[in-house]
Amino acid sequence: VKVVATYSIKGGVGKTTTAVNLAYEASQAGARVLVWDLDPQGAATYLLRVRAKVKGGSKRLVGRRGELAPHVRGSALDAVHVVPADFSLRHLDLHLDDTADPIARLANLLDPLRDRYDLALLDCPPSISLASESTFGATDALLVPVIPATLARRTLTQLTEFLDDLPDAPLVVPLLSMVDRRRALQREVIEELVAHVPELLDTIIPAAAVIERMGKERAPVACFAPRSKAAAAYREAWVELESLLW
Amino acid sequence: MGRNNDLPTAPVSTSFILTEAGADEIRAVLGATGIDLATRRDDRRVVLDTFDGRLHGSGLRLELREGHRRELVVVTTSDSPPASVSWDGPPPVLSTDLPTGPFGARIAAAIGERALLPVLEIHATRRDAVRNDRRGRPVVRVALHDNVRVVAPAGHDVASTVVEVATSAGHDASDDRVIRALRDLGSLREGDLVDAVLSATGHSLGGHTSSPSVPMQPSDDALAAFSGVLRNLLSTIDDNVPGTLAELDTEFLHDLRVAIRRTRSVLTEAKGVLPDKLRAQYRQGFRELAAATGRARDLDVYVLGWNDAVGQVGLDDPDALAPILEQLEADRRVAHRDVAEALQGDTTRELLDSWREWLDGDAVEPSDAGSIGPYIAERIRKAQSGLLRDGRSITPESPAERLHDLRKDAKKLRYLLECFEGVLPTKSRKRFVGQLKALQDNLGQHQDAQVQVEELRSIAHVLNDGDSIGTDTLLAMGRLIDHLERVRERERDAFAQRFAAYDSKANRALLRAMLAKAAGS
Repeated sequence: VKVVATYSIKGGVGKTTTAVNLAYEASQAGARVLVWDLDPQGAATYLLRVRAKVKGGSKRLVGRRGELAPHVRGSALDAVHVVPADFSLRHLDLHLDDTADPIARLANLLDPLRDRYDLALLDCPPSISLASESTFGATDALLVPVIPATLARRTLTQLTEFLDDLPDAPLVVPLLSMVDRRRALQREVIEELVAHVPELLDTIIPAAAVIERMGKERAPVACFAPRSKAAAAYREAWVELESLLW
Repeated sequence: MGRNNDLPTAPVSTSFILTEAGADEIRAVLGATGIDLATRRDDRRVVLDTFDGRLHGSGLRLELREGHRRELVVVTTSDSPPASVSWDGPPPVLSTDLPTGPFGARIAAAIGERALLPVLEIHATRRDAVRNDRRGRPVVRVALHDNVRVVAPAGHDVASTVVEVATSAGHDASDDRVIRALRDLGSLREGDLVDAVLSATGHSLGGHTSSPSVPMQPSDDALAAFSGVLRNLLSTIDDNVPGTLAELDTEFLHDLRVAIRRTRSVLTEAKGVLPDKLRAQYRQGFRELAAATGRARDLDVYVLGWNDAVGQVGLDDPDALAPILEQLEADRRVAHRDVAEALQGDTTRELLDSWREWLDGDAVEPSDAGSIGPYIAERIRKAQSGLLRDGRSITPESPAERLHDLRKDAKKLRYLLECFEGVLPTKSRKRFVGQLKALQDNLGQHQDAQVQVEELRSIAHVLNDGDSIGTDTLLAMGRLIDHLERVRERERDAFAQRFAAYDSKANRALLRAMLAKAAGS
């Protein structure tokens, strides 16, 4: 299995929509996908039509005696399974801290499922915390949605600087998200990112009403607007990510 | 209601029911639970696997399904969700035909260089039904298959209706009203339509084996044991001829050649068991057949390993070697045509027919070789003794031919250990073969590099004589030859150590103990 986290220190940058759409695209390309919703808001859980309930709470999930398999649920998509989130995940750091090796904990929990899936997508909450460090220890790549704004560029730099100090840090793969090319400032930031961030994916996810509609449709964009630019962009993003990982 | 014991409890499960109930009865049962079957449609599934069943052996099943869409599906025996991709093209044959990414990577890792062939084809009519939970998530899917026909291999009809039931991961199937209702039609068994067909027909997806081993005991009569081994080897030859002629993949020719070499070797070892005249006649016949197929195999090995070899050289412009690869591929096509001619020629047909006739007949006088255990123990002891003698006499100054001869000694010993493995204790035989294999790998790589250098030089002469070789190509060839020479020298340098490991006191003692057991002493 390849483990990818949609991660950003900043909130509202399109992590969950990216995770759900890429899960769909990966499954269409023949991958067996597990989405692990680590965000207490449970938005990925909701979009994939899974009940937002962690049986026994986050302690039973990640605590000393926790295991992942009993929490796996089928989703509205055939080849996508979900480990759902609920509000108990707000205590994730606390329960991780209670384990022998918090940094390796998420990786250890994923280990028994490695043969069952080709791709595990971890949808992370916006923060930098113990759970984030455990995520870094579990993942092959961090997919970082970046809004073309100066502050978002700055948080990407903060993240890469932090990861530079870690042994075995995951690959950082920034992805331009919520892009509106009509705005001059966004175009400037994009030019600067393209020039200085070689890892940046070529694909650009547009700011699109169709992505906002996902909450109403409770489905990936390609399921209800397959010909939209956004659906095409997620498909291209998956192709790029696939070629990086396989 | 308590848990239903005949339901799989895995997070995701697919089960089937074989039932005599008709479609109307099943529709009524499902209708009572509030779900309706959709319109019937045709459903075709072709199971693809290699000739030797590598996917089946790896716990995978690849199906080309034609129903509401045409798709390739990988079914695993574990708790994974099914993996599928839309597929418009012809059925994939080689790993290079598979989709990129994890789907193709999983299949490619299992099949290696082997071709995918249709091993089972099922036609049916199908009606689907689905039950969603209140969030719109499908939790139970039912597919009713009737008119189930096994198109290939023919002669395996399924009289029953097959109901396929898939429950979503994490859904408590034991408490589901659809499952409860379906249980009245028959017992649920883990698996899908293909499993149901295999269960109803007794057909297996295990594939053909090229294993030379046949069941035998040390006390069995030597003649019977030799005949059994030779019959099995002939069967492997017969099995691999069609795939070799059709050039489905390179392993058919490889397995064919190994079976021929084993036959020759077993005939050589059958002194005192089989009549001398017969042994001489067929050893000669199979020697000629081996010779007729040797060059094609050498070129297969060369072309298969080309990318790796060129990659290791680290050329700035690997395309400079394209004319060489083209020439190798042209030579390979000619060599395979020669193989086809040889296999379809009268000489081979007469050889194989008369050999089969002899093996199936009862024209043999009983031999006085006794039982197979002591007999084969003595043959193995002699083979080992020859190998040690030859190996110990090789010095850094010995010509390459001596290593080539030693490789033949090692093969001879290996064939004995494999063909007559039934009389040898399994655990120690495996340990000993592991040591022997390490030595054979060294000798094999040494010889492959040498053969490839000679082949390259020969191609260079051919192209040079025709003035069709550019300077870049010539320089790149020089680098490739230099690389191969270094591989050969590296293996040559490693030989002394490898042989010493093989010739260790512990390894010799292992073989002695094994032979003592086989001989019953």
